[in-house]
Amino acid sequence: MKTLSRGSRGALVPLALLALFTLVLIPGTALAHDVTPGDAGYIQEIWGVHVIPFIYLGAKHMITGYDHILFLLGVVFFLYHMKDVAIYVSLFALGHSVTMLLGVWFGWGINAYIIDAIIGLSVIYKALDNLGAFQKWLGFQPNTMAATLIFGLFHGTGLASKILEYQIAEDGLLANLLSFNVGVELGQLLALFVILIVMGYWRRSPNFMRQGTYANIIMAGLGVLLTYQQIAGYIAST
Amino acid sequence: MHNASKPKLEDLPTNAQLRRSSIIACIGAVAIGVMVYMPAELGKDPTGVGSLLGLTEMGEIKQQLAAEAAADAETHGDETSSLVNDILGLFVGTAHAQEAWQDQITFTLAPGEYTEIKATMEEGASLFYAWSSDGGRINFDLHAHADGQDVTYEKGRGKTSGEGSFETPFAGNHGWFWRNRDDEAVTVTLQLRGDYSAIVRDE
Repeated sequence: MKTLSRGSRGALVPLALLALFTLVLIPGTALAHDVTPGDAGYIQEIWGVHVIPFIYLGAKHMITGYDHILFLLGVVFFLYHMKDVAIYVSLFALGHSVTMLLGVWFGWGINAYIIDAIIGLSVIYKALDNLGAFQKWLGFQPNTMAATLIFGLFHGTGLASKILEYQIAEDGLLANLLSFNVGVELGQLLALFVILIVMGYWRRSPNFMRQGTYANIIMAGLGVLLTYQQIAGYIAST
Repeated sequence: MHNASKPKLEDLPTNAQLRRSSIIACIGAVAIGVMVYMPAELGKDPTGVGSLLGLTEMGEIKQQLAAEAAADAETHGDETSSLVNDILGLFVGTAHAQEAWQDQITFTLAPGEYTEIKATMEEGASLFYAWSSDGGRINFDLHAHADGQDVTYEKGRGKTSGEGSFETPFAGNHGWFWRNRDDEAVTVTLQLRGDYSAIVRDE
C-alpha cells in the first residue's frame, strides 16, 4: 500500500530494506476481498453471452448432482425398451426444464433445503414404485408418466434455486440460461448412456430381478438419507 | 412383487453391443476429460480444443480465484504483507480536482489485471464517490475488512460508471477491488470526497 495524499514518504526509506527482505520470504501479496472460488466465482466475474461455458456448467451440474442421477436411475431401472426410456426421460427433461427456466427468469426463491428434501422424496417414491409398493398398499398403480413429469417439475425448481445462487449477470441471462438448460440435458444423456450400459450387463444376469429388489430398497434408503439431511439442514438454518 | 416383469433376453442389447458402447463411453470419457474438463477446471489445454470452445478462460479464472482464496487464508491479518504492499504500491496519480472532489485517481488495467484502491477511514465516517471507465467494462467489489470484521457495500461486473456513498461501520481501509474481465485495456477515473486520512493502493 502506498500512502499518498497525506503520508510522509521519507519514513518509508529505511523500511524499504526490511520490505525487500520480507519480499523474499513472502512471494505473493494477498488482495483480501471476499473471494468466491469455483463455478459461482467464475460466473460472478463474467457478463454477456457465453454459450459453451454455460453448456459445460449445466452438464457438470447434472452429472455431479447425485440426487438427479439417482432419480434418473430409478426411472429407467425397469424400462427395457429404448422407446420407453426416450419417453420417460423426455418427460423428466420437460418437467425440469419448465420450472428451471421459469424459476430463474421470475426469480422464484424457494428454500434450497425444502426443494432438495422434495427431490429426496422423489427418489423414495420412484424406488417404492419400482418395488410395486403402491399397488400393494393402495390397490392401484399411480400413473408413472405423470409422476415422472411432476417430479421433473420439482427437480427443475431445485435447479433454479441453485442457478439463482450463481447470480448470473443480467447481460446475456436468457442465452446463458438456455445454454445451461441444454447442458443439463446433455449431462443427463451422458449419464444415461453410462447407466444403460451398466443396466444392460446387469439385466442379462439371471439374478437381475432378485438383485433389483435389493437395489431399489437401497435406493429408497438413500432417498430417506437425502431427505433427512435436507430437513436437518433446514432446521439447523432456521 | 415388482412394478415390472423380468426382462426378455431378446429385448436387451447383446453383449457385443454393450462392449461396443463401453468402448465408446471410455473413449468419450477420456476425450471429455482432456478436451473439456482440464481446460474448464484447471485452465490447462493440451489439445487446444478448450480454447476453441472458450472453456480455458473459465479454468484460468477458477484457478486464479482459488489461488487468491488460498493466499487470503494464508496471509489474513498478516501485517507484514501490508508493509510489502507499501513498497510495491504503484504510483497513483492524484489531483485535487474542482471544488467538490478531494481526489481524482486514474488507473489502467489490461485484461485480467486487478488492483485495490482504498481510503483509510475512522468508524462512522462517510465517503462519496463517482467513477467512470473508458475503453471497456470493469468488475468491482466495494468492501472493507479489519480485525475480523468485514463489510461489502457494493459489487458489480461489466459496469462503465458508478456513484454513491457509504458510511463505515468500523475503522480501517475501505474501498474497491477492481478487475478487468473485458477484452480491452480499461482506464478508470475515480473521484473521491469524504472523511479519509489517506488513499492506499494495492497492486
